[in-house]
Amino acid sequence: MIDIKLIEECRGGNFYNFRKLVELTSPMAFSVAFRILCDEDLAKDVVQETMITIWQKLKKIKSAEVYRTWIYRIVVNKCYDELRKRKRHPEFVTDEQTWSLISNSVFEEPSANLENKETEKVISQLTNRLTPKQKTVFVLSDLEQMTNDEISEITGMSKSGIKANLYYARKNISEMIEKYL
Amino acid sequence: MEQESGKYKKVLEILRNSKPVLNSTEDIENEVIKRILKVNKHGLNLLNIIDFLFGWVYIGWIRNGLITASVLLVMFFIWQQSIILNRIDFLSRQTIIENAETISNPASEVERGIMMYKITGRRLPSHNLTISEKQMNQLLDSVYELQVKYKDLIKLIEDDPELKSSIEKKLKDHNQQKTKI
Repeated sequence: MIDIKLIEECRGGNFYNFRKLVELTSPMAFSVAFRILCDEDLAKDVVQETMITIWQKLKKIKSAEVYRTWIYRIVVNKCYDELRKRKRHPEFVTDEQTWSLISNSVFEEPSANLENKETEKVISQLTNRLTPKQKTVFVLSDLEQMTNDEISEITGMSKSGIKANLYYARKNISEMIEKYL
Repeated sequence: MEQESGKYKKVLEILRNSKPVLNSTEDIENEVIKRILKVNKHGLNLLNIIDFLFGWVYIGWIRNGLITASVLLVMFFIWQQSIILNRIDFLSRQTIIENAETISNPASEVERGIMMYKITGRRLPSHNLTISEKQMNQLLDSVYELQVKYKDLIKLIEDDPELKSSIEKKLKDHNQQKTKI
């Protein structure tokens, strides 16, 4: 949880405290960016860009309370841009190694924590056929465990749109699991 | 179906547990700070000046107050202009009395020029006057004719001592009357 006082101080132009804000905010921004983009280096770049945008526009947000939603919105928008760039090359290659890793984790070590590289591969395989919107809604709802209201505020989508996208995302992923596991 | 749902839940659980780890928070912090300072270095002066001059627009009550003040000023300006225009219109219809001569609402350009000539003490306007060569010759002819007539008149007066004394007496009386007035 980020201290509102800290955000207010940063809004006042306190550069020293902004460093602390970067330290606290980066992991949550990275988590969303990494899960949406499935690329560690690209996610780090998005986090950096997000932090710079935050510094430039922090004074413009209405209050410190909306900070969390606002930061997620910036991250998601930047990820959208990256996904749109990638849309031109929608190649899907089934990676047997990754599916055996998923299978192993599901049936033998259900409590296992995957490494970043493994997580990257697993999410990439599961969500490869999803549209950017479906992927974003799936990550925010099922992985980041946000409510539909929060997702609506972050993505600007209607609740019915969120539900529809989530339905198709889950259906698609379930089919993939059924097919390869 | 249940089995399928179970697999989906297990995969989700694994992914939720495997929170992406940002190992290089400090690197990101340093990179963000470095980039902000770099941006600030280039645009520091301009941004500072803009911030100093217009930074207050982000303060809500000042912004609202200024909007109200500007609306009031515009309304006052319109009201004042309407009063001035009415006054000018009223004055332009008034009768001007100059040296016991009455001029009322001069219509044409010529009349207006004559009126200005009288008001300014029979002085010609300061802007340049242009006359044609013909007009110049006419003017010189009339001056020459006037000089000849004046000389004839002087000669006529000097030849007749009675007339001379009578004119001198009349001039004296006229001057005395002027002094009394």
